[in-house]
Amino acid sequence: MKKINYNDKGSILNPLKNLQFYARKPVTEPLGPRPASASYRGFHINDLDKCIGCSSCQKICDNAAITMVEVPSIEEDASKGLRNLRPAIDYGRCCWCALCVDICPTSAIEMTREYVHVCDGDETDSYFIFPKETGIHGDSFEKGWTKTEDSDLLDRARRPMGEMEPEARIDNFDEIVDGFTMEMAIEEASRCVDCGLCEDACPAHMHAPNYIRSIYEGNLEQAVEWMYETNPFSHVCGRVCTHICETACSLGHGEGESDPIAIRWLKRFAMDNVSKTKIKQIARKGKSRKKSGKSIAVVGAGPAGLTAAFDLVKKGHKVTVYESLPKAGGMTRYGIPNYRLPKDRLDQDIEVIQSVGVDIKYNVKVGTDISMAQLQKDNHAVVMAIGMQMGRSTRIPGSDNKMVVKAVDLLRMIPKGDEFNVPKSAVVIGGGNVAMDIARSLARLQKQKYNEVNITVSALEQLGKTFLADDDEVIESKEEGIVILDARGPKQCVIENNKLTGLETVKVISIFDEQGRFAPKYDEENLQFHEADMVVEAIGQMSDVSILGDELTEELEWNRGRIQIDGNGATSVEWLWSAGDMVKGPDVINAVADGHRVADDIDKFLNK
Amino acid sequence: MNKVPIDEILNKVNGIKITHKRKTRIRVDVDADSLPTLLELIKGRASYIHLSAITCVDWIADNQFELVYHVWSYEEKCLISAHTRIDRGSESNPAKYVSVYDLFKPADFFERDIFEMYGVTFIGSPRMEKFILTEWNGVPPMLKDFDAEAYVQETFKWTDYNPDWLQELTDQGGGIAVKPEDIRTAGNTHNMSTHRERDKAKAAAVKANEKMQGWKQ
Amino acid sequence: MRPENYQAVKLGQSNEYEIFIGPNHPGIEGNYAFRLMLDGDIVVSGKADAGYLHRGFEKLMEGRLWIQNLAIVPRICVPDPAPMEVAYSMAVEEIMGIEAPIRAQWIRTMQLELSRVAAHLFTFGGHAATTGMYTPMFWGVADRDLVLDLFEDFTGGRVYSIYNIPGGVRRELPPEFLQKLSNLLDYLESRQNDYDNLLFTNQVFVDRAKGCGALTQEQALELSVTGPNLRACGLAYDVRRDDPYLVYDELEFDIPIQTAGDAYARILVRRDELFQSIRILRQIIERLPSIKGKIRTPIPNPLSWNVRKGEAYARVESSKGELAYYVVSDGGDKPYRVHVRGPSSMHAVQTLEFLAKGARLEDVAQIMFSLDACPPEVDR
Repeated sequence: MKKINYNDKGSILNPLKNLQFYARKPVTEPLGPRPASASYRGFHINDLDKCIGCSSCQKICDNAAITMVEVPSIEEDASKGLRNLRPAIDYGRCCWCALCVDICPTSAIEMTREYVHVCDGDETDSYFIFPKETGIHGDSFEKGWTKTEDSDLLDRARRPMGEMEPEARIDNFDEIVDGFTMEMAIEEASRCVDCGLCEDACPAHMHAPNYIRSIYEGNLEQAVEWMYETNPFSHVCGRVCTHICETACSLGHGEGESDPIAIRWLKRFAMDNVSKTKIKQIARKGKSRKKSGKSIAVVGAGPAGLTAAFDLVKKGHKVTVYESLPKAGGMTRYGIPNYRLPKDRLDQDIEVIQSVGVDIKYNVKVGTDISMAQLQKDNHAVVMAIGMQMGRSTRIPGSDNKMVVKAVDLLRMIPKGDEFNVPKSAVVIGGGNVAMDIARSLARLQKQKYNEVNITVSALEQLGKTFLADDDEVIESKEEGIVILDARGPKQCVIENNKLTGLETVKVISIFDEQGRFAPKYDEENLQFHEADMVVEAIGQMSDVSILGDELTEELEWNRGRIQIDGNGATSVEWLWSAGDMVKGPDVINAVADGHRVADDIDKFLNK
Repeated sequence: MNKVPIDEILNKVNGIKITHKRKTRIRVDVDADSLPTLLELIKGRASYIHLSAITCVDWIADNQFELVYHVWSYEEKCLISAHTRIDRGSESNPAKYVSVYDLFKPADFFERDIFEMYGVTFIGSPRMEKFILTEWNGVPPMLKDFDAEAYVQETFKWTDYNPDWLQELTDQGGGIAVKPEDIRTAGNTHNMSTHRERDKAKAAAVKANEKMQGWKQ
Repeated sequence: MRPENYQAVKLGQSNEYEIFIGPNHPGIEGNYAFRLMLDGDIVVSGKADAGYLHRGFEKLMEGRLWIQNLAIVPRICVPDPAPMEVAYSMAVEEIMGIEAPIRAQWIRTMQLELSRVAAHLFTFGGHAATTGMYTPMFWGVADRDLVLDLFEDFTGGRVYSIYNIPGGVRRELPPEFLQKLSNLLDYLESRQNDYDNLLFTNQVFVDRAKGCGALTQEQALELSVTGPNLRACGLAYDVRRDDPYLVYDELEFDIPIQTAGDAYARILVRRDELFQSIRILRQIIERLPSIKGKIRTPIPNPLSWNVRKGEAYARVESSKGELAYYVVSDGGDKPYRVHVRGPSSMHAVQTLEFLAKGARLEDVAQIMFSLDACPPEVDR
């Protein structure tokens, strides 16, 4: 570089040297817009199919430029995490920072290289645009700033959950999942974009974004407070919930590897780390000081019945719950194995509910020990929440043998400690979570007794495609030595000399007919025989409605074998409501939601 | 001149708390009374002659202002941030503090800025007057209890747009669902109340519909 | 202030009269007014009048999420926005206790130096224009545009890059970028003679600039003058070397100084600095390809990002001088306080008032521009 001395005077001739420019080629620029660079932050485009309406773009927008508009023609489905909201952008405010692009969980919104927009003063409406696959002027432009791995503002990977190794867990009923540590929980919670899709999807509308936020801030008591607003079975749901929320989670909609937030494990973490005394205090919050003087009977101490009881007690009513079994919890106790839901956790949920003032009478069988008519006489309202405790039968030949049993019956016997002969080999018919539960429970008992596992699960559905059980269940079952045969239908239980020798299955061609009705078709040629000492049917459950008594059964309206109810759980009989599995099908969180709904409606009815 | 370690000089000030944050950053906390002495000491005895900035922080929950004097030494190559807290005062009795203009000329600018934005009067500062917001008559705007967002909402009108595409959506039963203001005026982004309200309204509509078609009617 | 609110100074029997420079004036990089009392064409006193660009950035930042502020900070200084993003990001990183990956630090350094080149070219043009020479102004702005093309290429935005994020930078460099940068540096060096001939050794300019707005080192230190303005008074002080950040301690560069402290000395310092920046950029072109790795340290999802309690004072050397961000967090999802210490807040108010006194009216614009003051740094 040439140095210039401060003391040099310069020369008047120096500028004249630049007359040489007359000999240089002039610089000319073409008129019209120059193409922008490959990562230019120009006008937006939005892939309306990829966009799920989570509104993260609106929240990150630092200039309040994004309005969410409702597009009725787009599918809305809370359980899949789809809203019909789409972003519209006010270019009077946008500053083209591309934070909306970088936060978008599904990479739907992107920027193009288009950057010219001219309008008159009276055309300001053209500043408010609804980006689609084509940009502001309806033209297709090359993409500019799009999300890259580096610019992605979201953490796509779920914190891994520790589990017991298969060898360690196979001979006992200890809980498999380790749970998060504080550090992991905070990290996991920090991934949440607070879109609320989970809350929309949850049947009980649990305030997941709020409690995730509280966990992120390390305030677990606050988190539990949020949970108890909507769910007194938070311990149970923290472990065995079907977590529709995680299916809906906007992070799970991402392209490629993108895990939803582990909402269920976060709930479990918060519940496990707040003391029982504190939880009891939280549960009591909002309990009415006034007694209403009304009393309600609840039949069945499962999630639906107890949730309804919990709500009604908090509203000042007197509630008595009648339970035919020696302990409360219903299917969560007598249907879910201990390795998925340790019973002390369930006990705590129930203890908290009781601490609010719910009275449970055990070993009282309604219909036998006390009649429905009596309940009606003694109370202002009655809730039926008896669940589905009878297993369905395949009704195939041989299924009436005594070694052909129902999964629910067996599952009930294990926690009760009832003795039964553990079979050396067994075949389970069914591909749902109940089938997995019984298969894995039997496997544990076999391991304890005979030191080897011999269980086969035979299901109509195809693995990895239509299979009903959770992926985790399938993976873990296989790890534990259980054989899963998919796409096989049961033909007959083979009986020789009145003794069961095994199950014969045939290959499934299709499960549903053209109208979508359940009508499996089999390839009768493709026969297979599975040797077994016991065949377990796990193909579904139904309610034991015989307890209602003839008179009431006659009076009630029915719908395909279930009691007909309206949207709030009220039956056609004025004093009777019904909730939970018996009317909605098996699922804890649905039962809880049902409990709330029924309680609200009864409260309204009683205050009329 | 013998070089005296900076800690030794700083420790001459009563009740001082010294934190070495990193090689070129020292944080000291002193009483409001001792701060001018401290600045005089480090300027006179330890070559801290460059006043980089004076910051005021409004700790409204503690009813205090924090004043931070950032002073740099060209010789030591180190920045001392001297923190002190003063009473926040009230509208009738505004906060007061002493000026350090006689030590550092640039205090003129910073103190005037704090006077204007926070309402702290610096006694002895040459120009305690408005500078940037000459035509502003409200409360000092940087105070935490002045809500700029609310002021904007009250004072200015948002442009209302009604483009064709929006009209079409409205005709189909859709249209604007969540305005950005709805989220912003809620005060924080962790408030999904807008969605909740919308969903509640929808659920109510569905329920009503069910009842209508239900067997009870 | 609005014209209707203006009240003329009552001067009685004096010969003095009042004149406004600005708020719209080509002698300053933005809207800024300077009220002069004149006796003939000699300035008796001057008073800076700011506020025309006040957008309340510091207040705005308290109401926005940590990440949203990234889109605001570059707006505080249009001609040299990169140091704003970097300083803000560095302050937040210090509070969080994280560090940007080494490759990101190199890229940031490159961005800062490119921004310095752009800003200095702009200043050359502006300074020349205040002495009535418009060709260097067109050149300065046109050549700056070539730098902006590069910004567009790797950051996606021409002026407001919004490229930094606490924890690193948002995007990898595009392919062939370093080659393009190298070509640009070649071009800028080839322009040196043109600029020298037309501006730096042009006798008309030299005569106008010498002795105009001279500041002694003592005065400069007393007024907290920093950056090229301080170096023109003979003190070789540069935040890049004396309070090193990013990777400046691994780079070789000189700190050009002059001793006269006047407008000519200041522009010569800037001219030399431009070439030091080119030297730094050449080292970066050489080293960057061998520095592999990530460009971002992960931060929590920005919508639920609480920065832990703490404060940090991050200083960088912008093209104008010492730029600092003082950021305070109370552990929330938004900054509790952000204080922007722009170098121009020192240069454009007290220093300018001091230098204007006794100057001739025709020199005032040159004094203003030779200080390279950026009014939004005063207003914020």
